[in-house]
Amino acid sequence: MVVKRGVKKSEVAAVLEKLIEKSGSLTGLLITKEGVSFAEAGDTSYLNTTAMAALVAGMFSATREVARLVGEDQFSILLQQGENRHIHISLIQDSGMMVVIFEGYERIGRVRHEARKTGEELSKMITDKEEKRQEESREKKEKGEGIIATSQFKEYALNAIDRIFETR
Amino acid sequence: MPHINYEDKELVFKIVYYGPGLSGKTTNLVYIHNALDRDKRGDIIVLDTEEERTLFFDFFPLHLGRIEGYQVKFNMFTVPGQVYYEASRRLILEGADGVVFVADSALSRMEENIESFLMLQNNLESFGVDWRVFPITLQYNKRDLPLLIPLGSIEKRLGLNGMPVTESVATDGTGVMETIRLASRLVIERFQI
Repeated sequence: MVVKRGVKKSEVAAVLEKLIEKSGSLTGLLITKEGVSFAEAGDTSYLNTTAMAALVAGMFSATREVARLVGEDQFSILLQQGENRHIHISLIQDSGMMVVIFEGYERIGRVRHEARKTGEELSKMITDKEEKRQEESREKKEKGEGIIATSQFKEYALNAIDRIFETR
Repeated sequence: MPHINYEDKELVFKIVYYGPGLSGKTTNLVYIHNALDRDKRGDIIVLDTEEERTLFFDFFPLHLGRIEGYQVKFNMFTVPGQVYYEASRRLILEGADGVVFVADSALSRMEENIESFLMLQNNLESFGVDWRVFPITLQYNKRDLPLLIPLGSIEKRLGLNGMPVTESVATDGTGVMETIRLASRLVIERFQI
């Protein structure tokens, strides 16, 4: 998972923003394998990104099975062509999916080119951050910082659950 | 392991409804979605075929609220029940933090329940998850049917001990909220970071 590796959302969003600009695309998303939208760039006002993330992750997983059926480990790129809008999805380090939504199919060459470059940049970012994160995590652990699952957190969360799911 | 975004202080858990075909997984999810206040839920996506069988998955995000500075969400999924959708079932299950196993209480469907539970065990094992300590809640659904499998019979057949069990009639909502309450409590109780 991308976030586990200490990569910051704002950094990814900045890289995606550059991709959107250079390729003249509409929207860029980085989605985790678990189906959560991690970072977004460009116009997302028309898009339910939560639903989009869940569906794209499912789609990519299904495609992986299709790849295996024909003797491939994975298809690293998925392309969906519509009437007006098109989607280019590429796999980032087997941990995330980069989604680019664009208009005008004639842009496909530029989108592919920029998506490949951005994919490499994001991969490098993930690799670089991994070591740093491990180090920081060790330090935090030693100091007892950064722990979310405290007994207080759990108590509040359990109370919220009881309240929301009270038998109606 | 939930999705954690330290920057936005967001924590997302994944709960998956698993079980044999037509056992009532989608009915559970739709009931919960309808019962929740609007500010607690996102849109529901239901991908089913003309015969009301789930093709890929159903999904909706549930907002628990802000806890200790973190926005806590549960992403709720169902898997397709039919045996031939094994691949998509396994994929949706990947990364799950908890499972609700929806068993069909019809006496004639005992074997399908067992087969499906064994598949769940296999799927979890394939991700390196020890299903014995994984949060699974067993829901005996359709308790309004005339000929029922007795409570405890699935656990007995599979040698399961100490699994939380609920009874339900998902079509009228009986036991549905109690099941998700138990399941999400288990997920939170097990959460460590």
